Amino acid sequence: MNTVPHPVVPERIMAFLDGELPAAEARVVATHLDTCAECARLAERLRSTSQLLSAWRVPDVPAKVEQSVADLVDKTGSGLRTGRPTLPVRFSRWPWGRRAILWGGTMAALLVALALYLPRLRVSRHAEMFYTDGSLQSQVQGNGGSAGKLSPPVNGRALPESGRAITKLNELVTPTSPGAAPDSNGLYHGLGDHAEDSFSVNGQPLTDQQSKIFASAIPAPMIARTVSLLIVVKDFAASRSSLDAILARHHGYSAQLGVSTPENAPRSLQASLRVPAPELSSAVGDLKALGRVENESQAGEDVTRQHVDLAIRLKNARETEQRFRSILQQHTGNVVEVLQVEENIARVRGDIERMEAEQTTLEHCVDFASIDLQLMEEYKAQLNPPGASVSTRLHNAFVAGYQNAAETVLGIVLSLEEYGPSLLIWLLILALPAGLLARRYRTKVAAL
Amino acid sequence: MNGTLGNSGRERSAAAETDEQLMVEFSRGSADAFGELFLRYKQALFGFFRRRVADQAQAEELTQDTFFAIVRASSRYAPCALFRTYLYAIAFKILRAYRRKAALRATLFGTEAAPRQPAFETPSDAELSVRQAVAKLERLDREILLLREFERLSYAEIADLLRLPLNTVRSRLFRARMALRDLLVTPAPKSSPTKLAEREECV
Repeated sequence: MNTVPHPVVPERIMAFLDGELPAAEARVVATHLDTCAECARLAERLRSTSQLLSAWRVPDVPAKVEQSVADLVDKTGSGLRTGRPTLPVRFSRWPWGRRAILWGGTMAALLVALALYLPRLRVSRHAEMFYTDGSLQSQVQGNGGSAGKLSPPVNGRALPESGRAITKLNELVTPTSPGAAPDSNGLYHGLGDHAEDSFSVNGQPLTDQQSKIFASAIPAPMIARTVSLLIVVKDFAASRSSLDAILARHHGYSAQLGVSTPENAPRSLQASLRVPAPELSSAVGDLKALGRVENESQAGEDVTRQHVDLAIRLKNARETEQRFRSILQQHTGNVVEVLQVEENIARVRGDIERMEAEQTTLEHCVDFASIDLQLMEEYKAQLNPPGASVSTRLHNAFVAGYQNAAETVLGIVLSLEEYGPSLLIWLLILALPAGLLARRYRTKVAAL
Repeated sequence: MNGTLGNSGRERSAAAETDEQLMVEFSRGSADAFGELFLRYKQALFGFFRRRVADQAQAEELTQDTFFAIVRASSRYAPCALFRTYLYAIAFKILRAYRRKAALRATLFGTEAAPRQPAFETPSDAELSVRQAVAKLERLDREILLLREFERLSYAEIADLLRLPLNTVRSRLFRARMALRDLLVTPAPKSSPTKLAEREECV
C-alpha cells in the first residue's frame, strides 16, 4: 500500500483538466501525471465522466423564441415601449418609478374627483334646506358679496278663516284668479301684493270702498325675521364701538352680548341684537360694512296665523270674562255659587293675561327683527419671547415624552389583554394549517 | 431587424468582438450586436433552462424572458463583469422566481405543472442514464456540475453566481464528479422519460 502523500491533491488534478490552474502550477501537475499512474487514472476517470455527460443533449431553440425576441428588439429600436408580448408584466415586477407614477396618478385622480364632488354635495344640501315648513328661508354663505340679493321672505297674503269681518267678506267675495283657491284651512296663498285684484263681488271687480274693506280685513303678514351674520374684522375695538353706534342709529338694542379675549388667539364677540323690522335691511348693511362677511343667513317665519288665533282666543276669553261679571252683578245666589263665578273669573283673567303676554311677545318678534351677530378678529400672531427657559422646556418635554411612552406601553398592554385571548385562539386554530403549508412550501422549494 | 436576429448576426464577423463589446454596442442602439449575442447564447441559454425544467414550453418561455430582461436592462448595462456571468445571473434569477411560483402553486393547489410537451423525444439509453444519475446528485453539487459541464463557466464564475467560496465550488465539483462517475459505472434501473422529466424538475 502506497502511503506516500501525493504532491498534488485530486482537486488540483481536476482543476488542471478544467484549465483552472495557473501556468506554473499546471506544469507541475502535468509532470506529476506523467509519473503517477494513480493520478493518471483519476484524470482519466474525470475525463470520461465529462465525456459521458456530453450524451445529454437538448433540442435546438424553437424559431418562435427567436421571432419573439426579434420583435422585441425591433420595438426597442423603433422607440416603442418594450413589453412582454405574450404575458403582461406583473405589478410586483414593475420598476419603482413606474409604480410611483401609478400611485401618484391614482391619488391625484381621487383628489380631483373629491374636489369636483364635494362642492356639488354642499350645493345640493343647501337646496334641500332652502324651503322649510311654514316659512321660506334664504341662506347665503361666502364673503358676503352677493348676500344682499335674497328672495322676499313671503310672497303672498293669508286670509284668516275666522273673524266676523272675514266671514262677511267670504260671503261677498269670490276668488276670480285661477290660482286663488283656499287651502283646507280656508287660507289663500300666493296672491302677491295685490291680492284684492284676484277677487270679485258678484262677478264684478271690487270697488274702491270694497278694496278698502278688503285691505282692512286682510291683515298684513306678520313676519318674524332673523338674520345670522359671521363677520371677520381687522380692528376689533373699533368694530365694537361701531356696533354700539349702529344699534343707536337704528333704534335697536342688544339682548345679549358676550366678548371673548383669549391669549394668543383671535378675540370674538357674540351678540343677539334686536332692531326694528323696518330698519333691518339698513342695520344689516351697516353691520356688513364692519368687515368681511364669512357667513350670512336670513330667515322669516310667518306668525300671522298664530297671531290671529291668539287674538280670537283673547277676544273670546274677554267676552267670557264679561259674561261672568254680568252674572255676578245681575244674579244673586248663595255664597257657593258666587264663589264659583269669582273663581271662573279669576281663571279666565289668568288666561287673558297669559295670552296678552304671548301676543305682546309675538308682536315684539315681528316689530323687532333678531340679528345673531358673531364678530371674529382677524388674528395676527404675535412674536412673543419664549415663556419658559430651555431647561424647563427640556424638563417638560422629558415628562411629556415619559408620559407618552407610558401611555403607549399601557395601551399595548391593554390591547393585549383585550385582544390577546382571541388572537391566541386564532393562532392555535391557524397554526396547524399554516405550519403544514409552510412545511410543504419548504419541501417544494427544496425539491425545485 | 424584422425578425432576423440570427441572420443579421451572421453577417457580422463573429470573432471580431467580445461579448461585452457587443452588449455595449447594443446598449447604444445596435440591434445587429444583439443579434450576434443572441446567436452566441441562444442554444446555451435554452439548454440551461431545458436541463433544469421538465416542461420544454416552459423552458422556451424562460429563455425568452431572459432575453427580454437583457433587452430591457440594456440601457443600464455596465461592462464590469463578463457578459456570460451577467447573462446567467439573470437566468438564475428568472429560474428561481419560476421555482418559487411553482412551489407556491403546488403548496396551495397541490398541482404540479404538467409538461405541455414530451420532455425529450427519443432519448438514447446513454442520455437517460446520465440524466438519471445527475438527478440523484445533491442539489448544490448538481447545480455546480451542470454549470461547469454544460454552461462551461469557470470556477470563479460559478462561485460568483452561487455566492459560494471558490474552494467550496472546487471541492463540491470534485465530489459531484466522483459521485456521478460511481452512479454511471453502476447504473440504477432505468426510469421512463416522463418520470425522469418529473425528477428533473428538481434539478
